[in-house]
Amino acid sequence: MTQPSRMIEIVNLNKWFDQFHVLKDINLTVRDGEKFVICGPSGSGKSTLIRCINQLEHHQEGSIIVDGLEVEKKGKNQRLIRSRIGMVFQSFNLFPHLTVLENCTLTPILGLHMPRAEAEETAMLHLARVGIAEQAKKYPLQLSGGQQQRVAIARALTVKPKIMLFDEPTSALDPEMIKEVLNVIVELAADGMTMICVTHEMGFAREVADKVIFMDQGEIVEADAPEAFFANPTYDRSAAFLSHIL
Amino acid sequence: MAQQTQVFVPQPDRPPPPDTSGPLAWIRRNLFRDIPNTLMTFVGAYIIFTVVTAIVNWALIDAVWQAETRRECLDAVGRAGACWPGVAAWFENLIYGLYPKDQVWRINLGFLALVVWMVPLWLPKVASKIAIGLSAVMLYPFLASYFFLGGEKGIIWTALIAAGLAGLIWVWATALTEMRTGKPVGTWLVARLGQADTDEILQRRIKQGAALALFAMAFLMVTQISFEEVRTRFWGGLFLTLVISGIGITFSLPAGILLALGRRSKMPVISTLCTLFIELFRSVPLITILFMFNTMLPLFMPAGTEVNQLVRAIVAVCLFAAAYMAEVIRGGLQAIPSGQYEAAKSLGMNYWQTTSQVVLPQALKIMIPTIVGNFIGLFKDTTLVSIIGLFDLMNMARAVGEDTDWLGLFIEPFFVVTLIYFVFCFAMSSYSINLEKKLAAGRDRT
Ligand SMILES: Nc1ncnc2c1ncn2[C@@H]1O[C@H](COP(=O)(O)OP(=O)(O)OP(=O)(O)O)[C@@H](O)[C@H]1O
Ligand SMILES: [Mg+2]
Repeated sequence: MTQPSRMIEIVNLNKWFDQFHVLKDINLTVRDGEKFVICGPSGSGKSTLIRCINQLEHHQEGSIIVDGLEVEKKGKNQRLIRSRIGMVFQSFNLFPHLTVLENCTLTPILGLHMPRAEAEETAMLHLARVGIAEQAKKYPLQLSGGQQQRVAIARALTVKPKIMLFDEPTSALDPEMIKEVLNVIVELAADGMTMICVTHEMGFAREVADKVIFMDQGEIVEADAPEAFFANPTYDRSAAFLSHIL
Repeated sequence: MAQQTQVFVPQPDRPPPPDTSGPLAWIRRNLFRDIPNTLMTFVGAYIIFTVVTAIVNWALIDAVWQAETRRECLDAVGRAGACWPGVAAWFENLIYGLYPKDQVWRINLGFLALVVWMVPLWLPKVASKIAIGLSAVMLYPFLASYFFLGGEKGIIWTALIAAGLAGLIWVWATALTEMRTGKPVGTWLVARLGQADTDEILQRRIKQGAALALFAMAFLMVTQISFEEVRTRFWGGLFLTLVISGIGITFSLPAGILLALGRRSKMPVISTLCTLFIELFRSVPLITILFMFNTMLPLFMPAGTEVNQLVRAIVAVCLFAAAYMAEVIRGGLQAIPSGQYEAAKSLGMNYWQTTSQVVLPQALKIMIPTIVGNFIGLFKDTTLVSIIGLFDLMNMARAVGEDTDWLGLFIEPFFVVTLIYFVFCFAMSSYSINLEKKLAAGRDRT
């Protein structure tokens, strides 16, 4: 059996904020359908790394190839790549002036030129999938945090992405809401979506991750299957970190 | 140690303690709480009473209503009462300036057209409010300027006026079909012709054809009417004030938005130019700008072209207002968290899509009070055009006291002008509060 195609390939990625070297020689390959979990201490560059993938941050050295397209600072590739990647943020970032439904139909109508009726129909499907179809006419601020995050996931799905990036999707949520959001992500994973998720929910990592990546000070320290990673981390740094959060 | 669980029985509601609710309690609590409070209430009531009686006595009870000259007023009541006949004699001038009396109906009709244009914005069930508002901003000015100016019209001028007329007709057609069938007039027409299920290209052709027919009809109508020319030097009074501030207000918002976006642009040339423009116009008083434009603009124009004085004043007011509005809008833009831009980018939206769909709607909503505050400020600032010799409402009021019959009659016209300004500004301010409430309804968890 041939291996699934490479969805994301990062080679020798380096990034600086002014003088500050945030990402150092990052190499990473994610294949179609694989799920990666990234963890590590605060400030280690996890967000910066996944934001480089859809060019919310620009890197200075190395290359990122998404679904066969080289990531560039500008131009057609950038738009194509962004339309293949859905991103979910820690702070939801829903558009507060639009209803839940409008949040989900905005880009399909504007960007993909879908007729409104069709866009609304697909949006409702995605909203039903994350379990909030009945809230479609409400405004985001009228929903709970967990519901908002699920809307954000539905919205990201409306552009029909091949890859989903999650940046700490549950760290702004109360414990009982974490579960409902993680369940949605687990289901998405079960459907075969390729995803990279920055999270410290180790139970989740154990359940869905093909690989857990541990980052520290801008470097990938370990990349291993979850069983191996949790059982015996190779480096003292990751061991210390794990003893903190487990 | 078995603990008996008890059934919770809620207490029945009790009335609040006496003297804490109702109007009497409110009066006691707020006006007569203790001795200093009671004293303040009496002092305040006394001041209000004196001022109000003084004004009522002067303006109504002791006032003179019939006289030919100010002399007669003074002989009758001295300075104790207002002399209204002077204001009455000049009233038309206060409103219309020196516009020919037999043509004044054109001004009324012009403003009526604006009201008619805007009415659908307040009708429920009309969905195309943005398109209607935009058409009013872009097309109404052509219609109005022909009503007000009149005179010869070449082919281009005729076409523009026809576009204005066609716009007005379209607005009402759409308002009516949307109220009755929920469809804008173009879609309604397509449905009426039984083409609702045909492909989009044919449907678009039908709409374009209808628009063209409407325009042709409007064009024919415009060629049939002709108004005699009224030069702008006869314009004045409230009419002139409304023209200058109306143009200033409608120009300042879009121009301010563009300048603010330009100032935040990543392209250094654009952002430097916008910043320079904004800072230049914001650091110079409006009077100075008016003077500059009045005396210097003609120097820059090619020899032989004459720029009308009103145009100079309007250009000055517009640029000044745009610079101020730009800073207001920039404040609104800064209030939008970066997460909104990132979310839009990650969904693949481009700059203009993000700006028009995500950023501006939120920024403008936050800034409504300040934006309307700016409009009110601009409306009042137009009084400064009197400095370069235009007879706006304020200057016209001053002219009353310089008339030989009414020499020295200043207080009464200014009193009336004050009332007029108050009515307009208060209306704008109330409307903004109303708009804020409407936009806030249901959108926030409050
Ligand atoms: N726009 C920026 N300009 C300068 N420095 C930045 C910028 N964004 C992030 N940094 C720095 O880069 C480093 C990595 O940031 P990043 O947000 O990627 O960390 P993280 O691993 O996601 O941390 P956390 O777990 O707190 O989210 C941090 O030290 C941060 O201060
Ligand atoms: Mg982070």
